[in-house]
Amino acid sequence: MSDKKVTFKLFTIADHEEEEQYLREMHRQGWRFYKFIIPCIYIFEQCEPEDVVYQLDYHKDGVSRKTEYIQMFLDFGWEYLGEVMGYNYFRKPVSKMNGEEEEIFSDDESRMDMLDRVFKGRVVILIVLFFTLICPQLILQSRMDSAINDMVFWMYVVLLALYVWIFVKFAYKYYKLKQK
Amino acid sequence: MDAHIKKVYVPMTETGFYILLCLQEEMHGYSIVQAVEKMTDGDIKISPGTMYGSLSKMEKDGLIRFVREEDKRKLYRITPLGEDVLNLEITRIKRLYKNVKEHENE
Repeated sequence: MSDKKVTFKLFTIADHEEEEQYLREMHRQGWRFYKFIIPCIYIFEQCEPEDVVYQLDYHKDGVSRKTEYIQMFLDFGWEYLGEVMGYNYFRKPVSKMNGEEEEIFSDDESRMDMLDRVFKGRVVILIVLFFTLICPQLILQSRMDSAINDMVFWMYVVLLALYVWIFVKFAYKYYKLKQK
Repeated sequence: MDAHIKKVYVPMTETGFYILLCLQEEMHGYSIVQAVEKMTDGDIKISPGTMYGSLSKMEKDGLIRFVREEDKRKLYRITPLGEDVLNLEITRIKRLYKNVKEHENE
């Protein structure tokens, strides 16, 4: 049985490029992505070090379209690794590309379309939570005076900071792509 | 043709244009890519994510329709609305070409 390695790595919503780089770097060091235990906890298998491109595509299609979807990538020589929370994972060794590095998207419009899908599928719900839960709770807790309320208040402050961080990051990536 | 279609597809991306051009015959995603590579001497290589995204978007907007399935691959064909969009683009590109030629001859 080959050696396994478990890592914990947190990538937020708009970090798919960073995650792709991470998986590629691991493969280069001889650790092939095997599967997730749960999101953010990766299992890698030991392998021959190789330069392999990893790509993520956000798509939440029903099962009926899934076979067609995967087949499309197989036709182009991409291996399908599975789906986690709407993100589909693919990989292809550089040695199987004809001299130039391939990506699963070939124009900026389709990259933008993917960000739109992520926005609709993931960010909208966060915005709703932000305004209906986090902000009202923050105001409510700040008006109450007990040790417990204080703790809860700071918990919401941390959540607020985290959400703002995710929004800013997403907006920045969106803006950067739009500028291209 | 409604405003949404015009806004999204006129003018069109190169990828979108070639997809519609090819779908005047029944084809699936990968065969379109091969045809486009051949037509453009390998200059335009459409990637699977882009192809899948374009086909689903065009199907949703009614520019193309699903015809049948063959070995897990869906075959599509252009609709009358798709042909209208394609013809608008062809007219636009012909005019572009004509103006380039005139400019060169000056």
